Amino acid sequence: MEARYDRAITVFSPDGHLFQVEYAQEAVKKGSTAVGIRGTDIVVLGVEKKSVAKLQDERTVRKICALDDHVCMAFAGLTADARIVVNRARMECQSHKLTVEDPVTVEYITRFIATLKQRYTQSNGRRPFGISALIVGFDDDGIPRLYQTDPSGTYHAWKANAIGRSAKTVREFLEKNYTEDTIATDSEAIKLAIRALLEVVQSGGKNIELAIIRRNQPLKMFSAKEIESQVVDIEKEKEEAEKKKSKKLI
Amino acid sequence: MAATFFGEVVKVRSRAVTEEEEDEEEPWAPDNLEDREVRRELERKREVEVLQTQTNLSLEIPLLEQYPCSKFIMAIGNNAVAFLSSFVLNSETWEEIGSTKLWNEWCRTTDTTNLSPTDAFCVFYCLKSDPTVFLCQCSCYVAEDQQYQWLEKVFWSSPNRNLQITVLTSRHVTEYKTPESSCNLPSPFLKALKTQSFQDAACCTLLEQPNIVHDLPAAVLSYCQVWKIPAILYLCYTDIMKLDLVTIEAFKPILGSKSLKGLVENVPHDTEILKKLVTTNEIQSNIYT
Repeated sequence: MEARYDRAITVFSPDGHLFQVEYAQEAVKKGSTAVGIRGTDIVVLGVEKKSVAKLQDERTVRKICALDDHVCMAFAGLTADARIVVNRARMECQSHKLTVEDPVTVEYITRFIATLKQRYTQSNGRRPFGISALIVGFDDDGIPRLYQTDPSGTYHAWKANAIGRSAKTVREFLEKNYTEDTIATDSEAIKLAIRALLEVVQSGGKNIELAIIRRNQPLKMFSAKEIESQVVDIEKEKEEAEKKKSKKLI
Repeated sequence: MAATFFGEVVKVRSRAVTEEEEDEEEPWAPDNLEDREVRRELERKREVEVLQTQTNLSLEIPLLEQYPCSKFIMAIGNNAVAFLSSFVLNSETWEEIGSTKLWNEWCRTTDTTNLSPTDAFCVFYCLKSDPTVFLCQCSCYVAEDQQYQWLEKVFWSSPNRNLQITVLTSRHVTEYKTPESSCNLPSPFLKALKTQSFQDAACCTLLEQPNIVHDLPAAVLSYCQVWKIPAILYLCYTDIMKLDLVTIEAFKPILGSKSLKGLVENVPHDTEILKKLVTTNEIQSNIYT
């Protein structure tokens, strides 16, 4: 029955579904996992890196993109759609700066991206963008922000969230482990992001990419070595926790 | 037809039938011959053949009549096939005995007369230490009109009642009918469907109504239900239909089942093979990031 209502984006089904938008949400699940965490003085974006072919230049396969000096985003879903959204967002950031002489707030640029996505759910002859985005940054007031948008054009603020494949597993992990203690310091927040990704990333640290923004500092991308040393620390802590557990049992 | 006074039988002319319709009834009109030829050609193209690996000849009798079988494990679809390849199939303990060759609109190969060994779509293996244990890796789509032929050529028309069949396959989670939203489903997840004569416990919950099974797994299960063969289908509902590590690992509870007991290889080694399989496949596509 659904088949009659899923061809045109502008047609509602009798039970109120916009099938193209829902199918676009399925496309998001085909992208690899991305996780965003809002700490006290830091925002962290972690992504599962896609394996790159031998002859392919790794620099052209990026999931974390800076939109401005103080805002960056990670996406999951159709690569080409993400490129268009990122380009439009970057232009809007600069246009805003030139017009209003102030950098965009994280909420403003998120609303811009969400409005763009919503427009494509209500136009004839176009299809929705098949991406979800996690947008992080600091506003002028020094408060860290994390927003998530989805293909329908909705956006919400989050303390921590995940998108892409296995997002549900990562979200459940974050719900259990996101506490005031785990985000008390910058290093704890970074470790939480890596631990969340390790729940679903099969090959460990070498398939993880991480970016952070600290208050009044530019975006920092972690090198493979830095991520590896974090992973080693996390594994040590895990072992110690397990040893303590087994001692208690005895 | 009507009989005349003189006993001859003549064709009665009907006032309802026009001249043109009479022409069409002519059996030897050139159009009909061509249509029939095309249909015959298509039927020949869509024929299912089971080839014996040793001789590379088509089997005259069903595969399981040629080779007695007590256990038949079948994987349909790329995720199920990758699961068995990594955790069960090992070149040292299994021997390839045959394959089915078939063509339909979903096949990528156009030349059906000269299919190479790598084009074989369903491959059959038997365990060297116990030749009554069979494994079938089916990574092609078997169309509706070919499913009966496939069953005929593989399974016997009077099967051995001691035979036990296990089928593994996967399906997209959006086809799972439930009052819950598909976003809340913990995909991938496993469901089982078994025939009446299957007495052992399943490794997961049974598939609830009104969900139904489709294609070749359904054909195999129907055959088993009719012939009272104990059979179980493990169906993995996943949100990723391409080759995916998480989906493949969702089949892991089956490793503890009676069907696969004693057949499982070294698990850490298997995980390595699995990662390699998936990574090789993943690198090819750049559409999703």
